[in-house]
Amino acid sequence: MAAPLPTFVTRRRPDWDALQSLLTRQRAGRLSLSELRTLDTLYRRAAADLARAQTFYPGTDAHRFLNQLCAQAYGAIYQPPRERWASTRDFFRRDFPATLRREARFVGVSAGLLVLGLLLGALVVTLEPRGAELLVPEGVRRYVAQGRMWTDDLLSVAPPNAVASGIATNNLTVTLFAFASGILLGVGPIFTLVNNGVLIGAVGALCYREGMTAGFLDFIAAHGPVELSIIVIAGGAGLMVGQALIDPGELPRAQALQSRGREAVKLVVGCAPFLAGIGMVEGFISPGHLFPTWAKVGLGLSLGALFWLYLLRAGRTDAGVARVDVPDAMASSRLR
Amino acid sequence: MTPSAPAPHVDVATPERVALSLPVAGIGYRCLAWLVDASLLFFFWVALYFVVTLLVSDVLGAFQALSGLTQTLLAVGLFATQWLYWTLAEVFFHGQTPGKRALRIRVVREDGSPVGFFESAVRNLCRAVDFLPVLYATGCITMLLDSRHRRLGDLLAGTVLVREEAIDLDKYTQGAAPESPPPPVADPGVQRPLGAEDVELVLAFLARAPGLEPDVRRRLGARLVDRVGASLTDEERARVLQSQEATEAFLRTRAKAAH
Repeated sequence: MAAPLPTFVTRRRPDWDALQSLLTRQRAGRLSLSELRTLDTLYRRAAADLARAQTFYPGTDAHRFLNQLCAQAYGAIYQPPRERWASTRDFFRRDFPATLRREARFVGVSAGLLVLGLLLGALVVTLEPRGAELLVPEGVRRYVAQGRMWTDDLLSVAPPNAVASGIATNNLTVTLFAFASGILLGVGPIFTLVNNGVLIGAVGALCYREGMTAGFLDFIAAHGPVELSIIVIAGGAGLMVGQALIDPGELPRAQALQSRGREAVKLVVGCAPFLAGIGMVEGFISPGHLFPTWAKVGLGLSLGALFWLYLLRAGRTDAGVARVDVPDAMASSRLR
Repeated sequence: MTPSAPAPHVDVATPERVALSLPVAGIGYRCLAWLVDASLLFFFWVALYFVVTLLVSDVLGAFQALSGLTQTLLAVGLFATQWLYWTLAEVFFHGQTPGKRALRIRVVREDGSPVGFFESAVRNLCRAVDFLPVLYATGCITMLLDSRHRRLGDLLAGTVLVREEAIDLDKYTQGAAPESPPPPVADPGVQRPLGAEDVELVLAFLARAPGLEPDVRRRLGARLVDRVGASLTDEERARVLQSQEATEAFLRTRAKAAH
């Protein structure tokens, strides 16, 4: 027969308090091995107490307290493997490029959408000159009409300028949005990609018509290849999410979304350092006349080539190892 | 379970074969936590701005005088604080940004385990969409529609926000010390033992009693005596109700009586 609630609490409370203080210290990361063993024992006792409380004292504060205590201890004990620096290195050496190669379909579709936008924008402006008024931001048009580059006297990617120039300078936002909007049934990335393609195509065509191709190339050449690649990859990640939502296959929709979302975000996280690096190039090298055009073109092309070389080749030699490794890591985080 | 628990929660089956149920944080908690975090970020930048203006008189001029590289670093840094703040805080402080810590809510995976870097990155990158069109309108609508109050980012990452309550166990143990007033009823153990629900009710009353108006305190005490002391004779009942101390001592003994 069950003891009355106050007796039960009085008798078991020292253990619970001990568990609680151990948990606080575990969060701070200071536990000795013997304390860790104590934590485990105390957690199992608390779990038994919780089972008892569920049977004999449901709905009481003691029950809710035990539930919360066990939840905290459960979180502390059944932790997924922590991501450490070694795994960060591993991520960039193997996981990120491998994920990209695995999801090459989506990146391809994404690239196709961007090119479609480019062609569309260029075509409209070439065939119908007044189309530029629709497609090219006003600020940029004014500069082009005066025969100047809009980047000549504005030397930054600071937000106001980014809005004004409207091309890839708002690259960070575009990249993030191209991925995140994938959850809107994949419509978001499609819109973002085509929209940015149209913008760049239209501005390019406008510059060509006004005889400013050299200036346009001069600005876009150094950072363009890598930056557009990154936007395409992020767009591909967004499309992955959208696809999981529309066609989850044999999984329930929520589960498909989560597992695909986890893969997709790897592409975005992997791109982040490259995005920051290319932002530097865009802010430092692209504008102004510090560097001659041929140097910028050369730099841009070689950076782009290196980037894709990395994406397509990295971690390929030990592909067999990766294939064994990946399911292992996933299994250990799934089967707890 | 008593039918008094329809609040949204996440059920977790542990290897110890005990079911945990974590209470989910609702939209109110989440908005408040965001407000705290957003003001922290805001005041960080305001403070930084004032420090800079103290050091440099013409901020805009100084900014334009900076080299392209420094400007870019600054812009990227600003952007990074806005985005990395959330993820880094969630990863390093066990699922809690400072705002969430203040509100005692925590991000966990749907199976109750702590969030990892990728989950946190997903849910925070999705802020861009949840924020649309203004002030998290999309996120709020999703939270209202979802049974576990998740926004789009949480749906994609497979995370939920759980609440941690401050539960005071003292009410069960505090009565143990002042055992001095002798039970006014000869043998309460003979009576029908109380259910856990009644014990909870009596203990909650005893914990709150010192803060109640004397009138209310007496009236509630009397009602509880009627509820838990059905087998008292009229004489005993009168004796129990004679003074407040006697009433509460009776209730305490009754709650502690063995089953």
